Amino acid sequence: MNRLNVIIVLVILAVAVAISALGSNTMQKLQSGFLGLVSPFLKTGSAVQQQLGAVGQGLKTLDQLEEENEKLATENKDLKTTNQILRDIEAENNKLRAALEYKQRSVFKLIPARVISRDASTWWNTVKINRGFEDGIDSDEPVLTDVGLVGKTTTVGKNESIVLLITDEICKVAAKAEGSREQGILSGQRIQNSGTSGEMQLNFLSKTADLQAGQKIYTAGVSGGVFPSGILLGTVKSFKARALDGQAIVEPALDLSSVEDVFVVVGAK
Amino acid sequence: MKLAIGWTSAALAVFFALIIQEFIPPIHALNGARVLLVPLVFCYAALAMPTWAMLLFAALTGFLTDLMFLHIVDGQVEIALGWSMVYFVFFGLLAHGFQPAFLRGHWWLYIVLAVLGTCTFLALQYVMICFRRQGIVFNDLVAWRILAPGLIAAVIAPLVHLAVNQCSNFFPDVPGAPGGYRLGQ
Repeated sequence: MNRLNVIIVLVILAVAVAISALGSNTMQKLQSGFLGLVSPFLKTGSAVQQQLGAVGQGLKTLDQLEEENEKLATENKDLKTTNQILRDIEAENNKLRAALEYKQRSVFKLIPARVISRDASTWWNTVKINRGFEDGIDSDEPVLTDVGLVGKTTTVGKNESIVLLITDEICKVAAKAEGSREQGILSGQRIQNSGTSGEMQLNFLSKTADLQAGQKIYTAGVSGGVFPSGILLGTVKSFKARALDGQAIVEPALDLSSVEDVFVVVGAK
Repeated sequence: MKLAIGWTSAALAVFFALIIQEFIPPIHALNGARVLLVPLVFCYAALAMPTWAMLLFAALTGFLTDLMFLHIVDGQVEIALGWSMVYFVFFGLLAHGFQPAFLRGHWWLYIVLAVLGTCTFLALQYVMICFRRQGIVFNDLVAWRILAPGLIAAVIAPLVHLAVNQCSNFFPDVPGAPGGYRLGQ
């Protein structure tokens, strides 16, 4: 190797060391900028993928479509009515809280988003969505569907964000078990089996918790945390008492490998 | 000029490889192994480019890869920006050592290096994650996730070689040598 190449190697190594010493905020900003650059390609790819997938779905008869449309319209009316009733109850609840000098419950706003790509890396469970800070999204905001919790935002770009899924080992959620006072920390597993929709472990339960298979697990909503209380996380698959605590294996409420439409909860903090 | 075209084409190939691999679903028959295209593209460039151009290409590939895979949660960086630059520089130097044999017609060297490059990239990533998370988990699934992408690379590599050789025919002043297409020569 001649002298020029040695110098190039040394310069690259020096640059790599300098970059690795950057703060996490600076790294996140760099990644956010890069997301902005790749975003049009990801969106185009996602649209193509969606259209290809829609070819099979599009082959429905007119009767089927009409029936489906009618069903959706009825469901929409039903949901609107329920939503209105719940809003009234929330307003009443806040009034009563104010009367009792409790802190008003913060009002959450949901921003709909679409998954545009799934992480190609082997070791992390993340997806990219088509909403960013221009849509009012910030980092560390919960992402969910009508079924349950999906994860939380990490890096937020201009029009796209990275969502860390709850099946990732480093996504930790304070959780409580339905019908008991048991609380623990839910996290994903480092390596997920590809045949399943992912499994999570609920740690730090009491040894005597004795959770039953099928029991539902919800977010506990600890103060200062990211996730609001009462969002479905999954169901217990098995429970075992360990030397110091109890551990439950939990199956996610929804198949995170195929989730497409999600909502980001803004204003939760 | 030819080198500039070759280098730019390789840079674009890495950029699009990063995007395309996001849309390739995991292969369930291989225990959820993913298809990694970036090491494949880089490996070819390392065998085809002059040393200094390969080194700059390694820096770019590493930087883009890190930006795509950067994982920051609660202010904690799992694998810092810059490590892939170091990896691709050293792997590039290793691969580049086989360039004379590759250009003499031993194109299978590309397949071997693509497998090696893909597996070592994933293995090193996993080792770093284990250090960061303070606990080593090693089982069959981990082995599959590291080795199976290498097997996939072995299947794709001849196609990449064939495609690049076909592309070289569009540039009459760049010889499509039986051992490969040397970018910029």
